[in-house]
Amino acid sequence: MSLPRLNRWIPIFNWLAAITLVVSLVMNFYYAPTERTMGNVQRIFYFHVGTAWVGAVAFFVALVGGALYLRQKRELWDTIALSSVEIGLVFLTIATAAGSVWGKPAWNTWWLWSPRLTLITVAWLTYAAYFMLRGAIEEHEKRARFAAIYVIVAFVTIIMTYISIRIFRDIHPVVFGGTAEAAQGASEGLQEFEAGLESMKMGITLTVNTVTFTIMYIAWMLNRVRLQYLMDRVDSLKMRVAARLQGGNA
Amino acid sequence: MDKVDTAVSAPSSSGNQFVTAVWAIVWKDLQIEKHTRQTVSLMVMFSLVTVVMFNFALETELDAARNVATGLLWATILLAGTLGLNRSLAIERENQNIDAVLIAPIDRRAVYLAKVISVTIFTLLLEVVLVFVFVIFFNKPFWQPVVLLVLFLGTIGYVAAGVLITSMTMQTRAREVLLPILLMPLVLPLILPAATAVGEMMTVQPDMSIIRSMVSLVAAYDLVILATGLFTYHLVVES
Amino acid sequence: MIQIRGLIKQYGLNPVLRGVDLHVPAGEFVTLVGPNGAGKSTLMRIVATLLKPTAGEVKIGGWLMPQNSGRVRRHIGLVSHQTLLYGDLTAAENLQFFAKLYRLDNSDDRVAEALKRVGLAARQRDAVRTFSRGMMQRLTLARATLHEPDVLLLDEPYTGLDQDASALLDDLLRRESAKGRTILMITHDLVHGLNLCDRVAILSRGKIAQEVASGEVTGAEFLDIYAAQTGRKAGMTKANG
Repeated sequence: MSLPRLNRWIPIFNWLAAITLVVSLVMNFYYAPTERTMGNVQRIFYFHVGTAWVGAVAFFVALVGGALYLRQKRELWDTIALSSVEIGLVFLTIATAAGSVWGKPAWNTWWLWSPRLTLITVAWLTYAAYFMLRGAIEEHEKRARFAAIYVIVAFVTIIMTYISIRIFRDIHPVVFGGTAEAAQGASEGLQEFEAGLESMKMGITLTVNTVTFTIMYIAWMLNRVRLQYLMDRVDSLKMRVAARLQGGNA
Repeated sequence: MDKVDTAVSAPSSSGNQFVTAVWAIVWKDLQIEKHTRQTVSLMVMFSLVTVVMFNFALETELDAARNVATGLLWATILLAGTLGLNRSLAIERENQNIDAVLIAPIDRRAVYLAKVISVTIFTLLLEVVLVFVFVIFFNKPFWQPVVLLVLFLGTIGYVAAGVLITSMTMQTRAREVLLPILLMPLVLPLILPAATAVGEMMTVQPDMSIIRSMVSLVAAYDLVILATGLFTYHLVVES
Repeated sequence: MIQIRGLIKQYGLNPVLRGVDLHVPAGEFVTLVGPNGAGKSTLMRIVATLLKPTAGEVKIGGWLMPQNSGRVRRHIGLVSHQTLLYGDLTAAENLQFFAKLYRLDNSDDRVAEALKRVGLAARQRDAVRTFSRGMMQRLTLARATLHEPDVLLLDEPYTGLDQDASALLDDLLRRESAKGRTILMITHDLVHGLNLCDRVAILSRGKIAQEVASGEVTGAEFLDIYAAQTGRKAGMTKANG
């Protein structure tokens, strides 16, 4: 992707993200009905699920970026993987923080070392370590290559997280699928979706939130890729200036 | 990704060639260990120190120590494992030996598999000692076949991830320091079900259905990570 | 045997090799000299199939690399300034390991013969760690030639060797050359560079600056050529050694 093409799309997505965010906020507070057992606290849920979803997407994009880099050795793929991990980590942090705020009234504690929460922590640490690895390698090509391999291995952690949710008996409610777990969650009075109109309004709000965060992710990605593009250009200009100066001295 | 062509002679013998290469490297690692006895003794000593220190920390609370024995066993294996991994892969970098191995007409996957096998052997030797120690110190039935099976499967997955990651960290500035930071989070999804399975075996009436699902989680991790390692290893050692 | 055409290697934006052309016919002994940072080691690693070029063509025995690296590997041997030996193994075990890797027939005989050839038969049961630098380097040569390669690559083989050890290595290299092996050696030691080989190529700033047949010039003349091409005095070498 070239800079002019990026420059055209960036303002569009920036505005789109801002507008949809406002729409989502309004819907969260005025359109979505108040949940019966949890009350207003439940409204955090839309942010929580929306950001968690985008976090997962971001890490998947990073995986794809890494795999494509290894195949084609084009620096753009490395930039995409790096940007996606950065942004994914931010979304994962938001999702965890939002979940924690919800957990205080629901479980009467900010944090539980349940398997699912443990594995989320692990996923967070895994992707944070990605930057440690990059920071320890100076050579461009090697850094991109190792980071790509690592990001592929890291995704295994996410897959295991997903599988574990279904296998571990867990206090965390399961929102999508898995009737046994849902029943268990319901029996603990953690999450209740009413039938009918109320439930539909909740569903619509959740969908809008998810779309909002996805648009926000795209906007951030475009900005981040452009930033890297500019940084690389500065680097190459610096090298040319240095070479010119050296040539002048000799 | 380019396939590494190992065949110089007839391609029909390529499977055999792969096995020969794996065996050659494992033989070499065992031979070095036979001479120095460094890797396993290092791991064992480190583990003993860890266990003893932990007991001091818990002081008189013997019951508490028993309850955390399973977790402690895995934590000890993980920490001692990084020593084994670092040492085993440092040997290949010592005189840049890896270059001599890489210009030999062998598949890079053979190098990966061989290193996984030899470090697994070393770690299993450590675990034999640890099982004795834990049975004596904590009076828990760690010698049960199911526990040994979980230890075996868990070790494979751990080492498979470890060899891949250590081969990378060896080529970075931070080297030994970076390994646990990268490796521990990656193997926690493996250790969690493994520790759950071992913990379940320590109860009076173990629920076999839990153990079955935990063991399959461990086995799934093994397969996925081994496949990833075999697929990407040539990219780790070549430039 | 070795054909290099327009070889370019770049690290990021930093070019190390800027279009190297070099031809080493079968059976010839060519030495590549050049100052530090000229790209000698990079060139050697590419020829040894350890590094992929950014652009250009490298052929060994007519096989294009890196596509055919796997085929080429059986036919090359590498001696580097690092020993590439396992210090904790004995001399014999080191060779046995590589015999296994190359799937050599009657490896025991070959190992024994190779150890005798480099004069280390008496020390074969000792750990390599206890060897002197010269002994290690001779063992390295035995390792690199164990599978009778057609091409022998030598990367600064004289590093850390004293006078006697160098002379011994000279002798062994002459014998390898006499066996008809194609040899490419890299060194910053101009005296050894010139004495042993058929031809010397000077690598400077990522390109072959000049090639000289070793019979045509005297040592002193060559030093002048070298200084002119690289802009550096070959200070560390004895002009009439």
